[in-house]
Amino acid sequence: MNQDKVYDLVVIGAGPAALTAAIYTTREDIETLLIEKGAIGGMASVTDLIDNYPGFSKGISGLELSDELSKQAERFGTKIEYDQINSIKDEGKYKLLQGEINQYRAKTVLIATGTDYKKIDVPGEKEYLSRGVHYCATCDGAFYRDKPIAVVGGGNSAVQETLFLTRYASSIDLLVRSTIKASDVLIKELQRHIDSGKVKVHLKTTINQIKGENNLVNKIEINQDGEVSDLNVDGVFIFVGLLPNTAFLKGLIDLDDRNFIKTNLNLETNLPGVFAAGDVRSGATMQIASASGEGATAALKIREYLEKK
Amino acid sequence: MPKKVTIFTTNQCGYCGMVKKYLGIKGINYEEVNLDENPAKRQEALTISGALTVPVTVVTKEDDSREVIVGYNLSKLAPAISA
Ligand SMILES: Cc1cc2nc3c(=O)[nH]c(=O)nc-3n(C[C@H](O)[C@H](O)[C@H](O)COP(=O)(O)OP(=O)(O)OC[C@H]3O[C@@H](n4cnc5c(N)ncnc54)[C@H](O)[C@@H]3O)c2cc1C
Repeated sequence: MNQDKVYDLVVIGAGPAALTAAIYTTREDIETLLIEKGAIGGMASVTDLIDNYPGFSKGISGLELSDELSKQAERFGTKIEYDQINSIKDEGKYKLLQGEINQYRAKTVLIATGTDYKKIDVPGEKEYLSRGVHYCATCDGAFYRDKPIAVVGGGNSAVQETLFLTRYASSIDLLVRSTIKASDVLIKELQRHIDSGKVKVHLKTTINQIKGENNLVNKIEINQDGEVSDLNVDGVFIFVGLLPNTAFLKGLIDLDDRNFIKTNLNLETNLPGVFAAGDVRSGATMQIASASGEGATAALKIREYLEKK
Repeated sequence: MPKKVTIFTTNQCGYCGMVKKYLGIKGINYEEVNLDENPAKRQEALTISGALTVPVTVVTKEDDSREVIVGYNLSKLAPAISA
């Protein structure tokens, strides 16, 4: 690729926010490049079933939605490069984006880097990564057919992933630090599996340590309201929250106290010409529909910005 | 060009799709072992990769040496298929 080329817009990420923005900009002949380090579709691509994205009365699988979104963006001429952006520099006439593989130049930048799973920082978590410790049910659940597992977390993601994992695991211990804070629909569905005996919920429970043998997890030490005991499980799936992918922006872009990107009502950051949309933005509502909505808004504001220049 | 490429996948795995897409762009044929359809192969995937995750990509080179790439990791996958 020609690294000297200055794109009208470079979008960092290719999740729902980025892909929606690209559909809007490329339809208006704003030359747009998306740069993605992981999976096209972002978090949506690793979600089993999306039941609340408008327009799909029977729900749609995350993979299918991601595929449709990227096809739609590419139909209008969006280009996607596979790279990870490590820094942005303001060079006056353009922004210089330093990737792992290439450099990119852009008149405007949209940061749509979303979030990543938070770790729980207990002994064994790092050592047994992918050997019993997992953060993606759709990726790794199939290894736990007829095996006992634990899920950590009590929010929407943890409950949704627990529901997905019931199709594989023989039993699931759901470990919740305080109380379950998921939507009523998910709780109702979870109750079915509690009633059938497949899922057991442990409230006021945290993990002290993840233990194993022969390089694979075989038990976890838990603390339930002060009482410590071992649970025999072959795997632990952790969904305790999300951290914004903003480490590479520190010092250049203003972040809030949780490291999400601050923007004004135009979704523009403190650096003129650099916008943010989706889960990575301070105040985002962490839904695909809202990430897409923000992508569309950002695209229209970017068009205004480019027209004024 | 590698002699043979095998990918262990599951039905719902987004990153498996990315490996397949990348190999497709590079014009490389591969054999897919879907662990949802073929659960007996899970042990083989674990033995080869040492990990309980997919995708696992096994690249067999011209000299029959083998490289195993766990996950969707372009910085390993790209050189492995071009070597
Ligand atoms: C388990 C789970 C279930 C969910 N279920 C639902 C649901 O049912 N309905 C719903 O509406 N929402 C759901 N969500 C939330 C939804 O997935 C997100 O709100 C949505 O994906 C956010 O889109 P985004 O584009 O902002 O970010 P993301 O989807 O997170 O995409 C960001 C992309 O940027 C890439 N990236 C990050 N840093 C860089 C970098 N430096 N360089 C290059 N690329 C980078 C990442 O690899 C990623 O692909 C769920 C989330 C989870 C975790």
